Amino acid sequence: MRHFSLRTLLTEAANAHQGWARQWRAPEPKPAYDAIIVGGGGHGLSTAWHLATTHGITDVAVLERGVIGLGNVGRNTTLVRSNYFLPENHRFYEASLKLWERFEQDVNFNAMVSQRGTLNLFHSDAQRDFFARRANMMRLEGADNEFLDKAAVKRLVPMIDADNGRYPVLGGFLQRRGGTVRHDAVAWGYARAASARGVDIVQYCEVTGVRREGSRVAGVDTTRGTIRARKVVFAVAGHSSRLAAMAGFRLPLETHVLQAFVTEGVKPMLDVVMTYGGGHFYVSQSDKGGLVFGGAIDGHNTYAQRGHLPVVEEVLSAGATLIPSVKRLRVLRQWGGVMDMTMDGSPIVSATPVEDLYINGGWCYGGFKAIPAGGMITAHLVATGRPHPVGAHFGLDRFRAGRTLDERGAGPYPWAH
Amino acid sequence: MSGFRLPAGGRIDRARVLPFDFDGRRYQGFAGDTLASALLANGVRLVGRSFKYHRPRGVLSLANHDVNAMVTDGISPNLRADGLPLCAGMRLLAVNTFGSLHSDRARVIDKLARFLPVGFYYKTFFRPKWTFPHWERLIRRISGLGQLNFQAARPVSAKRYDFADVLVIGAGPAGLAAAVCAGRAGARVILVDENAQAGGSLTYARPAGEAAATAAELLAALAAQANVEVRTATFAAGYYADHWVPLVDAGNITKVRAKAVVVATGVFEQPAVFRNNDLPGVMLASAAQRLIHRYAVQPMREAVVLTANEEGYAAALDLLDAGVRIQAVIDLTRTGEKCPAALEVAQRGVRILLEHCIVEAHAAGDGSGVKAVSVAPWNGSGMAAGARETIACDGVAMSVGFAPATALLHQAGAHMRYEELPGQFVPVQLPEGVFAAGRVNGVYDLADRMRDGERAAWLALAHIGLGTHVPAEAARARRAVSHPFPFVEHARGKNFIDFDEDLQLADFYNAAQEGFDNIELLKRYTTVGMGPSQGKHSNMNAVRILAHILKQPIDSVGTTTARPFFHPVPLGHLAGRGFHPVRRTALHARHQQLDAVFMEAGMWLRPEYYARSGKSKAELVREEAKAVRTGAGLIDVGTLGKIELSGADAGELLERVYTGRFRNMKPGTTRYGIMLDEAGVVIDDGVIGRLAEHKFYFTTTTTGSATVYRELQRLITMWGLRAGIVNLTGACAAINLAGPSARTILAQLADFDVGENAFPYLALREGTIAGMPARLMRVGFVGELGFEIHMPSEHAPALWDLLMRAGASHGIRPFGVEAQRLLRLEKGHIIIGQDTDGLTTPFEAALEWAVKMDKPFFVGQRSLQVLHKQPLRQKLAGFMLERDFNATPPKECHLVIRDGQIAGRVTSIGWSEALGRHFGLVFLAPDLAKEGMRFLIRVDGGAMVEAQVVSTPFYDPQGLRQKALDPAPAAMQAVSA
Amino acid sequence: MLRIACPWCGERDEAEFRYRGDASVQRPAADAGLDAFFASVFERDNPKGWHREWWQHAQGCRRFIKVVRHTVTHEIAAIGKPEDDPAVPE
Repeated sequence: MRHFSLRTLLTEAANAHQGWARQWRAPEPKPAYDAIIVGGGGHGLSTAWHLATTHGITDVAVLERGVIGLGNVGRNTTLVRSNYFLPENHRFYEASLKLWERFEQDVNFNAMVSQRGTLNLFHSDAQRDFFARRANMMRLEGADNEFLDKAAVKRLVPMIDADNGRYPVLGGFLQRRGGTVRHDAVAWGYARAASARGVDIVQYCEVTGVRREGSRVAGVDTTRGTIRARKVVFAVAGHSSRLAAMAGFRLPLETHVLQAFVTEGVKPMLDVVMTYGGGHFYVSQSDKGGLVFGGAIDGHNTYAQRGHLPVVEEVLSAGATLIPSVKRLRVLRQWGGVMDMTMDGSPIVSATPVEDLYINGGWCYGGFKAIPAGGMITAHLVATGRPHPVGAHFGLDRFRAGRTLDERGAGPYPWAH
Repeated sequence: MSGFRLPAGGRIDRARVLPFDFDGRRYQGFAGDTLASALLANGVRLVGRSFKYHRPRGVLSLANHDVNAMVTDGISPNLRADGLPLCAGMRLLAVNTFGSLHSDRARVIDKLARFLPVGFYYKTFFRPKWTFPHWERLIRRISGLGQLNFQAARPVSAKRYDFADVLVIGAGPAGLAAAVCAGRAGARVILVDENAQAGGSLTYARPAGEAAATAAELLAALAAQANVEVRTATFAAGYYADHWVPLVDAGNITKVRAKAVVVATGVFEQPAVFRNNDLPGVMLASAAQRLIHRYAVQPMREAVVLTANEEGYAAALDLLDAGVRIQAVIDLTRTGEKCPAALEVAQRGVRILLEHCIVEAHAAGDGSGVKAVSVAPWNGSGMAAGARETIACDGVAMSVGFAPATALLHQAGAHMRYEELPGQFVPVQLPEGVFAAGRVNGVYDLADRMRDGERAAWLALAHIGLGTHVPAEAARARRAVSHPFPFVEHARGKNFIDFDEDLQLADFYNAAQEGFDNIELLKRYTTVGMGPSQGKHSNMNAVRILAHILKQPIDSVGTTTARPFFHPVPLGHLAGRGFHPVRRTALHARHQQLDAVFMEAGMWLRPEYYARSGKSKAELVREEAKAVRTGAGLIDVGTLGKIELSGADAGELLERVYTGRFRNMKPGTTRYGIMLDEAGVVIDDGVIGRLAEHKFYFTTTTTGSATVYRELQRLITMWGLRAGIVNLTGACAAINLAGPSARTILAQLADFDVGENAFPYLALREGTIAGMPARLMRVGFVGELGFEIHMPSEHAPALWDLLMRAGASHGIRPFGVEAQRLLRLEKGHIIIGQDTDGLTTPFEAALEWAVKMDKPFFVGQRSLQVLHKQPLRQKLAGFMLERDFNATPPKECHLVIRDGQIAGRVTSIGWSEALGRHFGLVFLAPDLAKEGMRFLIRVDGGAMVEAQVVSTPFYDPQGLRQKALDPAPAAMQAVSA
Repeated sequence: MLRIACPWCGERDEAEFRYRGDASVQRPAADAGLDAFFASVFERDNPKGWHREWWQHAQGCRRFIKVVRHTVTHEIAAIGKPEDDPAVPE
């Protein structure tokens, strides 16, 4: 792997940039591997990297039906934070945030982890209590957060209309370590580093079937032939149900589309990630200058990576209520990602009814920020057969055992989380 | 006016002279000009700076999507000069310059280009880690385009809706023909075009004989058809399922639902790629033609025309006719064009160099634009070969190919295929009801395009049942319109592919070399097509380059996804006015008169407390509560969900959705109930009253009313029960009259016996109060003798007034949500959502008593059976602080800490006058939740406060007061700690 | 945005309706055991293709209807009343 640094950049500048090599190898798939990871998205690649580095397991293939990084890792609003409500979720996302903080040094690739802060606005006593609960728990566990009153919120984000909106702003909950990450770079960074450690990243290789021997998994059939493996991981959030069906079981989730939008670029105007409590919307400004908006899922299950217009209108209507001046901006692009929405709104990193077959999925709204720790706990599970302590609650068995992790208290309705 | 304006022609009004400012200088244009055309008429070639390198840029396309010329008026950040109609007195500045347009300090970046290859930011700026925030600040400051003005007035944009039989997008020759044809068949047609005038290429292409006359007739025919509506200066922003197309104009968005859609969106001319192809003065041939025909502006004085098709020769003739001296026509092809235009160009003595390319353009010393080009023979595929010749010129017109405007077709789900002739993607399979016509369909000759429009119209008419004519197939061009590889490599680069993002040819080679050799990966790594024009002038060239690198056919390289929007849409248009309803109760005006301080409760506004001058909130809440305990209080509980249920299976439904037993209730009684979800979580509670054998009336929580109502409707349907429900939440008001004097006050007004025997605790009665119909329930939520009075909303104000008057001598006071919270807390009554959360089971919430596990079935029962066997995670309990505690008390959500670990949290806390201390409800680890246990609460700042578990209710534990069994109002029966 | 033909009200915009989940889920018999119960509460086929689902005409007649919709193309193949069994295409 060619080391990335200012020095190599300068060396290559003198060399007309002729010396850059493929960032990840393009190998032919071998007939068998110790472990196969289905899905070259953030979680699959992170899992491969963690297997190779933490556990020394390098006889690993990541199979991707197209090219890597085009699923949800490349279709999100790039936010990272750990201010979750349930302790189980908070601990996991805090572990992930800590891994984000060293991502570049770990993989020698700049994903522009930008800890600009995430600000959740609240507009009612009930919302304040909801955040207070998070805040008190986070403080106890050593995670940063601050409660801001309305005046402090106005100082941080002067463009908001805190008084005249439908839901006047009472205050805000700030996690300074939260922020954004350049999403595509996460897939590429892990791919490059994993490939350098010997992981085969096999693109254009679609899994068409799951091979079983008795109660355990034996490999997968692909468009490039059968590949045997001692262990198999599904990391295909959005399409988990389809892979599970190939392996003969069902999952507690539905596939829904979550949309995001970006405006044309403007000069810096918003320095934090901001979430509105009076409606479904959150916003940050990309380094290129565009405001990136996200909202809620479209509300019915779909595998089309494209959403409807009404959600755009609803999100932007909420946005314009809070920041009226953004009405002058122009919305450039609308896109969607299809996500596993689980029955309790929390992820699944778990063994499955098939031995040696593991699943990483069900990420709902939280998949992107979970990538480093998601890979870490999945790799741990695959390598040791035991759940990692920070992900021990994400097992499939929780639904039967009555230990669901319902962050919002929305009940067993995937579209309601 | 300076010398670039032609003496005649154009679609401008020379009688109306418009002065304007650009970049601090004063100019004049005419009505009908755009900013771009007016600047060029004034000889201003430098109109903007590029995004990354801050290179000088001029007008490239003039086709409404030119991001070389982005300006701001100080209010709107990113206006396109080519689409901005000129107005008198405009004051405009180029965006994204540091200093001024002419001496942009950031132009130094252009010199650093070799250190900023594609993806450079992924490779550095991260060691050591602390440096990145500094780099990021710098990057952010340099990128971005215009500046958003926070002070400017905010536009309010109404949304419109419309319907059409046939929506025709694009009013060029094909679209016009389609609209006229569909209109003649009687269809309601909407014809939309992004330009200020209909006509498309007819408004700028060189007139072509008879077909041009036909086109003129079409425009005339259109005007005569009342059922065809033409909307110009309006663009179709996207295609959504079932022919739903938002149309965007300067002021509004109009969402059109069509029965059929004809996409006649035409093509975007594409730039040739050679070194310095972005210098001001280098423009697309169609841009030059637009300047001449639309605006009567001479695009340049001395031109070099670069071409690979007959369109280029037609443009050359236009230039000649406009008095431009053509130094040479550089033809990329080996054979040149044999078309009449080419012959005429040759006849008029213009030098034509076949199989030549432009190797590079040279900038004038002042950086204002092109002054010469170097040309050379080339190998037809990327490399110049042989001797170079430098030709002086002040402009280059490029005509090497077009990319179809297929975004809407892609969004509709069309399948496209690349055709070597004419050299573009054409639709091969279209979704139902969507039709393509004209150049977007690969049809180029003018007469063919109009026939193709008619063809599409007939297909659309057949689709909607208005016609049966089966038209002939489209006549796609069988000539080379678009050159397969109009790129010339150069060792020193600056041969731009994407003008929005400043991407050069080498960037693509570099990206592919690093493994980004798939079109989507290439796009993401280079950011090609992600700028403000969304690749309208770059995506096709990116595909061609990748095909060239991979040595694959263009078809197998494919295209990137064309996501909405077709053109950036003002956010205010999409946001509209916003519809965020506020709900007010029937008594809102009364609360206002009483100086209520309102709070948000879901969508509702509720009185939090009633203000009185000189008194604090805490004092007032205490007074309100005291009034209830000692005399009487009145609270508006109209926000509760109110549902009426009837039918033979009404009792059965309640039995299944609530955890308690309801089948055996007697008419005229009420019972508290809680509702679970399938996971066994408490989601709602309320009071259920039985009015008759098959008729119930019950309340839900304020926030739960819509959800509960909807869920019950669903369950009735699922289970096929004979039951109907009506949501009376909005139709009914509700007032709770509570306090020792409640009965005395009510008795003055009720037309029926409200005495203890006739109307005991938990009874339900229907009757009239002062002649007004009402349903009353004997409730005890606040722990006193209480009547919850439900009545049609229209009577509520009158009843409120009567109660206030009747209660005046008993010290009656209206009380708000805060006092109610305190009063119910003294009774240990929980509030769903405050004292429970999305995981709370009835076992945890100490509500076992309300759960009849021995019933045959209720929602959540199976989950509870599982949970029942597991150890409890937490338990809700009452607590009190020491009587002498006088520091800052804990708040809701403060945590209980044991050995550094979370062992619970406070859900409600208050100060009770009756108890003389702070008290509340707390979730605790089960082993802590035992009477008498002491525990520590961590408050803000980290201090620990000791508290002790006590049993609930805190106040009147036997419930004598609400049952009116203890006539002595003063006797406080608080538990002692 | 889709057009959905409510059996009672006629064709309306999707905005008037709310999705209410998989309509192929059957509540198991009371004695069917916990596995069947949890399967019906939590597990879903979640097909990529035709899906039989509940929608409520929330801003119309408020009734529940069964819709057979394709989860990739959003094409609607059939719509029925609750008691109907609208056919799922091959």
